Amino acid sequence: MKKLFFALLLVSSVSVFAQNGTIRGTVYEEESGQTAIGANVVVVNPLTGTSTDLDGKYSISIAPGTYDIKVSYISFQTQHIKGVVVKSGEVTVLDDVYLKSAAMELGVVEVTATATRKSEAALNMMKKKSVAMMDGISAEKMELTGDASAVDAAKRVTGVSIEGGKYVYVRGLGDRYSKVTLNQVDIPGLDPDKNSLQMDLIPTNLIDNIVVSKNFTADMPADFTGGLMNVETKAFPDSKFMEFSVGTSYNPSMHFNKDYLTYDGGNTDFLGYDDGTRALPRYSNSINMPSPSSGHSNQQVNEFVKSFNPTLDAERKTSLMDYSMSFSYGDQKQLAKNNESSWGKKNPTLGYIFSIAYKTDYKYYDDVAYGEYQRPTESSDYELVQANLKKGEQSSHSVLVGAMAGLAYKTTLSKIRLTAMHLQNGESRSGKFFVENSESAVGQSGFIASSNNLEYNERSLSNVLLHGQHLTEDRKWEVDWRISPTYSTSYDPDIRSTGFTYTPLDTFFSAGAGGNPSRIWRSLEEMNLTAKADITYNYELFEEDAKLKFGSSFNYKDRNYEILKYDMQFEWNQDWNSDNPNQALDPSVIFPNQPNGSYYYNSNPFLNPNAYESSVQNIAAYISQEMSLSPRLKTILGVRMESFTQWHTGRDQAYAQAFEQALSSGGDLRNIQAGNSLNDEVVLESVDFFPSVNVIYNLTEDQNLRFAYSKTIARPSFKELSFAQIIDPLTNRYFNGAFFEYEDWDGNLVETRIDNLDFRWEKFMERGQIVSASVFYKSFDSPIELVRIPEQQTTAEYQPRNVGNASLVGIELEATKGMEFISEKLADFSFSGNVTLVRSQVDMTDREFNARKNYEKDGQNIDDRRPMAGQAPYVINAGITYKNVEKAFQAGLFYNVKGPALQIVGTGLYPDVYQEPFHSLNLGVNKKLGEEGNTTVDFKVSNLLGDRVESFFQSYEAEKQIFSSFNPGRAFSIGLSHKF
Amino acid sequence: MKNFRFATKVLMGAVVACALSVSLTSCSDDDDSEDELPIQNNDNNGNVVVSSNITTNTTWTKDKVYELGARVVVENGATLTIEPGTVIKGQSGTGASARALIIARGGKIMAEGTASEPIIFTTKRDDITSGQISSPNLTAEQNGQWGGLIILGRAPISASANEVQIEGIPTSDPNGLYGGNDPADNSGVLKYVSIRHGGADIGQGNEINGLTLGGVGSGTVIENIEVVGNQDDGVEWFGGTVNVTNVIVWNAGDDAIDTDQAWSGTLDNFVVITPAGHCFELDGPEGSMSGSHTIKNGTVVASRNGRVSEDLINTDANSEVSLENIHITSIVSGQTINRTVDNPNVSFTDITLDILSGTNIDDYVADGPAPAGITAGTTGKANISAFSNWSWTAVAGETNGL
Repeated sequence: MKKLFFALLLVSSVSVFAQNGTIRGTVYEEESGQTAIGANVVVVNPLTGTSTDLDGKYSISIAPGTYDIKVSYISFQTQHIKGVVVKSGEVTVLDDVYLKSAAMELGVVEVTATATRKSEAALNMMKKKSVAMMDGISAEKMELTGDASAVDAAKRVTGVSIEGGKYVYVRGLGDRYSKVTLNQVDIPGLDPDKNSLQMDLIPTNLIDNIVVSKNFTADMPADFTGGLMNVETKAFPDSKFMEFSVGTSYNPSMHFNKDYLTYDGGNTDFLGYDDGTRALPRYSNSINMPSPSSGHSNQQVNEFVKSFNPTLDAERKTSLMDYSMSFSYGDQKQLAKNNESSWGKKNPTLGYIFSIAYKTDYKYYDDVAYGEYQRPTESSDYELVQANLKKGEQSSHSVLVGAMAGLAYKTTLSKIRLTAMHLQNGESRSGKFFVENSESAVGQSGFIASSNNLEYNERSLSNVLLHGQHLTEDRKWEVDWRISPTYSTSYDPDIRSTGFTYTPLDTFFSAGAGGNPSRIWRSLEEMNLTAKADITYNYELFEEDAKLKFGSSFNYKDRNYEILKYDMQFEWNQDWNSDNPNQALDPSVIFPNQPNGSYYYNSNPFLNPNAYESSVQNIAAYISQEMSLSPRLKTILGVRMESFTQWHTGRDQAYAQAFEQALSSGGDLRNIQAGNSLNDEVVLESVDFFPSVNVIYNLTEDQNLRFAYSKTIARPSFKELSFAQIIDPLTNRYFNGAFFEYEDWDGNLVETRIDNLDFRWEKFMERGQIVSASVFYKSFDSPIELVRIPEQQTTAEYQPRNVGNASLVGIELEATKGMEFISEKLADFSFSGNVTLVRSQVDMTDREFNARKNYEKDGQNIDDRRPMAGQAPYVINAGITYKNVEKAFQAGLFYNVKGPALQIVGTGLYPDVYQEPFHSLNLGVNKKLGEEGNTTVDFKVSNLLGDRVESFFQSYEAEKQIFSSFNPGRAFSIGLSHKF
Repeated sequence: MKNFRFATKVLMGAVVACALSVSLTSCSDDDDSEDELPIQNNDNNGNVVVSSNITTNTTWTKDKVYELGARVVVENGATLTIEPGTVIKGQSGTGASARALIIARGGKIMAEGTASEPIIFTTKRDDITSGQISSPNLTAEQNGQWGGLIILGRAPISASANEVQIEGIPTSDPNGLYGGNDPADNSGVLKYVSIRHGGADIGQGNEINGLTLGGVGSGTVIENIEVVGNQDDGVEWFGGTVNVTNVIVWNAGDDAIDTDQAWSGTLDNFVVITPAGHCFELDGPEGSMSGSHTIKNGTVVASRNGRVSEDLINTDANSEVSLENIHITSIVSGQTINRTVDNPNVSFTDITLDILSGTNIDDYVADGPAPAGITAGTTGKANISAFSNWSWTAVAGETNGL
């Protein structure tokens, strides 16, 4: 019967094509919030139409005019949409048609076609109906807030906070417990210090939506505990678009500043990569690098030293403003007319998208500080003792280039898309500091020195995604599969740090004080392959819709990491004319010339202990059942199995030295007795089962009660399971891989397993208004924290270790509410805000407790529990939005803060470091111009309160002291975009 | 499972090759950093290269040159015996590659040189052979070529913990721990030992002293020690109870005599010549335990041949030291004794300064006036003859007239 109906439609709709306009849209089932697949969309007069595809989308080509449209679907009420205007050659988008269940009310629902609404409401509907707890942000909201990148957009989501402008934290839990996926695929993090993807790399114009899930369900990866954030990129644009936008940002304290620091880089710095200017010099990584002790002639050594870039000093140049531009283009083409072609390939449609973005910014911080402080020995002394304080200025110039292209093909029952993306980011940093080291502190020799730091970081990410979705004819079976390889790199070529030591009588390089000049090359390359398939079976159970979902995923990652370091030595007595660092490589003082005779030593054994190759393989399978136990009570029960293996190739210094010796003396390389070495050996292996229970109970039509339980996991990172010793050239702080056994630490770092419990009440109101309250509890078995190594007094060294068990309990309140309940005049205003409060505690190990007890102050009573590292006690997001549809004007004021989190766990001599809350207040204004609203102007002010980003050492009854501090300043940005 | 992984690697390799060909990165440029620059004379010197830790009793004899090819540790329970006249040469390297000889807690060194046959620790660059005192090819200024000699023991230290990691050894090597509860701990014997051209750079504020004594006990015998051209300090004590006699330090890159963590022993008879840092850097306890040391009978040259020391004596608010019978000469304008005035635990007895004409003794004591124990004088206090013949400093004539 239906077939006949559509056949009639097909015949009747073949006619004038060229001048036609198009009606497109999406149809949802209001009950479930899901898209309606196979709903009939019919233009009443002249009779033509189509049916929705597997995305719930439809497209009708029709002559210009004004039409009434009828949307019908089995067992749902038919909806009439009146007065749909179609213009020649244009697309009219009718988004968000929600069909009510026929059982609830009989009759036909009539609505009037209004201004196009995007998917904000759809996301809210998804949130309301999803059995798992989730929050999201749509392209629309990003446009309103003027957010330039995914990271800016993400912080609008309940309980989300951002650190360092790059990393996403959920519910105040640390990076370790958060996870970011791109199109549901694991993307390698580019920073070896972090687990997750740096979100500042993704420009918003490539993003379709961002969804944050706070509860694990079996179809998700199990290695997140705070939240899983998925960024979905665009595939099928609803209508043809060609958009060009430019923007600029002005920060009075940073831009057009003549104090801005920079140094000469390569000719391609403006494209985000180094042209080889900073490459390793020839012979620098050879087994016998030329030096006075290598056996090379003086002339050879001299020439080799000269092949290093001689610039060691930052120069002052006036900074420019930030600017950005992007171009995007996309469309979809119906390959056959409305509902045409055979039943197997109905409505074939091709979608394509292309986007390129360029962004550059200049930063200048005029008062950056890094401190090291200690507790005084006497129990009656409270104030912290300064060990080292580094203060100065720092500049950076960052370039981001992003390109994405996507091609997608779909028919009513199948969709395949291919997306390719490349992101390129280069950041050049220059700094000038003064170091004040105090000999009254333990392990410190006391000196005054300068420090000149020149750095360059080059990151890239190339990702390809092949994604298919298929539906059986009876729409009972759905298959979704994805294959996605990613290649990413992060290079730090030629980090130069040079600092003179000042004594009352002399200025020179002192290895024992400010250090000799050094340079570092770092490289990280990672490849990643994800393949996954999800199969859903829709059926009826207990006379209600039910879903059986099962699937499998395979993830493989391989990382290569290497640090090469070169230290300068002086052959003769030092004699300098000034404290200009460039003198160190002046040809007149390079070895064998006198005085000074500067040359480099290679600090890198043939087998580098600061290099490793690690790989992981994670094979997962899951099954979950979504069903209604009663019309009001829905559940998802599921279990996921993950078989995880991590391999490591690396060695410690002792082995590396012995190997090098055996190599040069012809010894047996397979039988090195000294030290430790791992050659592609398994360092972590487990098969885990992760159960999850999600229950949603409809208290009333618009109120839900939710409960969730799940088990999740947090695994050590590549870097943590290694022998690497990584120095931060700016702060001189060391990271030590966990393999090193030390005192009570056995070198055996294991995964953290977490039990999660969640309760939530939520009330949905019209126009996207929401109120919700949640309580959550998590218990951590063997959490990993970064611990200050107490036995090392000379340098600040840290190691990741399993500490005592931990738990946390939190509450989360959220409200999105129009203001008309206060006054009618405020009808265009709405408030959205959320507050997360968390109380966490870790049971200290005996050693930590005793170490703290040794430094207990008079009047202090040290508890054997403390907060979890990285856990903020509160997160607050609040915003007021004004929206005037007629005037096409929107404005919003947004506030975000994360409570003081324990950043580094101190021990005894070393006090704890807490992150100071950063009060971020941003204003965004957005106005559409022109009759069609094709031109958009937006204006934004960030950090209105002018707050500083700071961390402090804190100790009982003592004044807090700087660990790190800088002032991001206030920035004013303006953007202009035009749709053609 | 391995095959599966291998297949993935191959597949990923192909993808990477593909990605590289389209990517903008410069990493595909020719990498010539690993090219080898050939050398003219790659002579095999016949040295015995030592690159692994010493775990059983071992003897080094003077008929061979021992080359330190790694950070070599004499581990707990092992004894390293070095014959008089033996030459030990450290290979070059900094940071992770720095070579040093470490006597770990429980390990022993029996290095009993003689005045006619001292034991010499130097750099591989030094062409010196057994029987020679002066280097045939290096100057006394050349430093930082290798690490140094580090002796660690179980005597008490005053630090943030009962045992801590010694400066210059990465945290990852537990053989760098020192400190304990045995004041009479015995790390062996060190006699007529000359240590040269060391002090490899480990990182900012972190390098290796010529002779490092961490928690070394009073059962250890240390006498007739020379340190020449070390990039960091000459001799540094970290707590411990060991007594040391006859020390000569020439051209230290940082301090000459450095004490920390409540060393409670005595240094008797010494010569210090032109360290770049402090002539004496004397710190106090860092933990709850206190302890005082005595430094006596010495002569210091504070400037010579353009090398000028940062200051003369440096003590802190919590230093605990008794300085007795010391003469400082060749003082230049601006060099002073820096101390915390009201610290009752620092005493100056018979300290004489060879002051410039037209100046007053008070000009040489920061936050003066000069305490009673510091006066003007011109006579050396060290017994110079103790260094004759076996020390390079004396042979080079640097001790003449002191």
